[in-house]
Amino acid sequence: MDQKVDLSAPHSMGTTIIGVTYNGGVVLGADSRTSTGVYVANRASDKITQLTDNVYVCRSGSAADSQIVSDYVRYFLHQHTIQLGQPATVKVAANLVRLLSYNNKNFLETGLIVGGWDKYEGGQIFGVPLGGTIVQQPFAIGGSGSSYLYGFFDQAWKEGMTKDEAEALKKAVSLAIARDGASGGVVRTVIINSEGVTRNFYPGDQLPLWHEEMEPHNSLLDILGAPEPMSM
Amino acid sequence: MSPSFDLPPKGGFSFDLCRRNAMLESKGLKAPTFLKTGTTIVGLVFQDGVILGADTRATEGPIVADKNCEKIHYMAPNIYCCGAGTAADTEAVTDMVSSQLQLHRYHTGRESRVVTALTLLKKHLFNYQGHVSAALVLGGVDVTGPHLHTIYPHGSTDTLPFATMGSGSLAAMSVFESKYKEGLGRDEGVQLVVEAISAGIFNDLGSGSNVDVCVITKGHKDYLRNHLLPNPRTYVNPKGFTFPKKTEVLLTKIIPLKEVEVIEGDAMEE
Amino acid sequence: MTKQHANWSPYDNNGGSCVAIAGADYCVIAADTRMSTGYNILTRDYSKISQLADKSVMASSGFQADVKALQKVLSARHLIYQHQHNKQMSCPAMAQLLSNTLYYKRFFPYYAFNVLGGLDNEGKGCVFTYDAVGSYERVGYSSQGSGSTLIMPFLDNQLKSPSPLLLPAKDAVTPLSETEAVDLVKTVFASATERDIYTGDKLEIVILNASGIRREYMDLRRD
Repeated sequence: MDQKVDLSAPHSMGTTIIGVTYNGGVVLGADSRTSTGVYVANRASDKITQLTDNVYVCRSGSAADSQIVSDYVRYFLHQHTIQLGQPATVKVAANLVRLLSYNNKNFLETGLIVGGWDKYEGGQIFGVPLGGTIVQQPFAIGGSGSSYLYGFFDQAWKEGMTKDEAEALKKAVSLAIARDGASGGVVRTVIINSEGVTRNFYPGDQLPLWHEEMEPHNSLLDILGAPEPMSM
Repeated sequence: MSPSFDLPPKGGFSFDLCRRNAMLESKGLKAPTFLKTGTTIVGLVFQDGVILGADTRATEGPIVADKNCEKIHYMAPNIYCCGAGTAADTEAVTDMVSSQLQLHRYHTGRESRVVTALTLLKKHLFNYQGHVSAALVLGGVDVTGPHLHTIYPHGSTDTLPFATMGSGSLAAMSVFESKYKEGLGRDEGVQLVVEAISAGIFNDLGSGSNVDVCVITKGHKDYLRNHLLPNPRTYVNPKGFTFPKKTEVLLTKIIPLKEVEVIEGDAMEE
Repeated sequence: MTKQHANWSPYDNNGGSCVAIAGADYCVIAADTRMSTGYNILTRDYSKISQLADKSVMASSGFQADVKALQKVLSARHLIYQHQHNKQMSCPAMAQLLSNTLYYKRFFPYYAFNVLGGLDNEGKGCVFTYDAVGSYERVGYSSQGSGSTLIMPFLDNQLKSPSPLLLPAKDAVTPLSETEAVDLVKTVFASATERDIYTGDKLEIVILNASGIRREYMDLRRD
């Protein structure tokens, strides 16, 4: 009862976002839930936003803040690309994100993961968390769901993985969805390498079922009439 | 060098009284309540365009202030926008952006795009950090096809095939979530929008009265004002009412003040 | 956990409006049947009217949990009264009992706004109107609840003499006939439903007169 649906409350993406490097490129992943308190305002959001042809960003925190930051960075990068006459590097993109996050730290509530590929340094991941720090990392995780993933990534991430091995780490998002109430919906991934960009979409009913998760049911009666009732 | 004369104000909001009002409120003064459109507004994408819908109740606290207000605002000939939140804010922000779009059309000589309206709206709302309380459903058809967006008071936006906003959004969304499918026909679309708005009208106390619908297709729109009137008055007194026109006469004799005897205190001075 | 406790309140407001009109030989008590909380309708068919004795009927808006508790106390006290006196309580006696019961909880009040209607020992219609802590008054007509601010001025206009200075002073009961009073009740509720979001769905009217008790229903707007 205390958790009233207040639709004027700011939108926040209680999120799970990940970014992973592999030999030749990067994989970005995210869930799709946007909520206002207990109400899911959007169950199919796209939190992996394009900045340039070869750089994408995973957004978490306030929806309004992360959108405005990525809109500005995309605008600056387009200008920069025209002035330079060649694609912007991932480092430049990440630094612009950092610049806006750091300079406006008192007004913003957003953590971002910048990932992309350029011809100088290949696939790179930069984490830009709340205060406007920038850290280059072999892999990065973010959002409320990330607390469930540190151990998993410490164990699962290996130097020099193949593309398929890296994309398999998208199961981290489904693991976090299973445990974090603020993450959910579908899983989206973006793979960026020298060949270009691939977007993948994994519907919520086709994600792996983890410990104690139930098969989808059309009716509650299916569960009630099940032969073996769940013990309390 | 700065000019030595005072420049006239250039427009925008006046914040002159903010400090005074904050002081008065801290001393217990109640700020005036605003007209809120406790609202159900919806939109969906169908086969050849978008359909917007809204109820027509405006409330001020528990009182219905307007039984038949318009919540689907004009943005451009091919773009309309439903507004929920503080009535003044939704009205002002849509009017402002609609003017900017008109000027932009004069400048470019091209039809306005929905993303242009979206960007202008979100920029304004983000600037005011949620203090301009307008929650919008923006829909239209432009050269790039049909578009539907939701815009929240803090300036975040979503792009979806179906959307609901306002206090009745949960009731309306439950209709969409169970019945929406891709590639709806025009009549099916209007029917679904009417059903979603009706869910808000009947199940949410902030929403009520009639259903407005706006169908936008390529090069054409139909603004169906009061498409459905599901709430007629339930009882009218068969005899009606009559009121006496005259004023009641209480006294006929007028006593001059001078003749009134003052029992205590000073007599009124001349 | 601490935050939840800080925001918790023992009260809710379930809305709704009540009206009672006393006539020379009848009494009309009416209330809508909507029960709501916030912007949500809990049910469209909840009776706010309870018969406390043969000739006393109470309509109550406010917090319906408190109202239910209040009704139980009153009916228990009335049962005891019947055992002790072997008769039904009169309406003015019930009015005093209601006042005492409300004042008993002066510092943790029943969040209930009541009008009590009935017939007195002479068979004249009587209406008693209350605040939440038991202040009460015998009147010719009254309205309580969320729509009372809309209804009361209308009743004043239709039923009250234009000025208390006018002579002869009007009686405590209204000059209307029973059917006119029922028509008036239907009108005020249809009107209040137009402008008060917490009033609606259905109107329940209870009419007490020499020939007994009668109930009528009328549909109201459901939005």
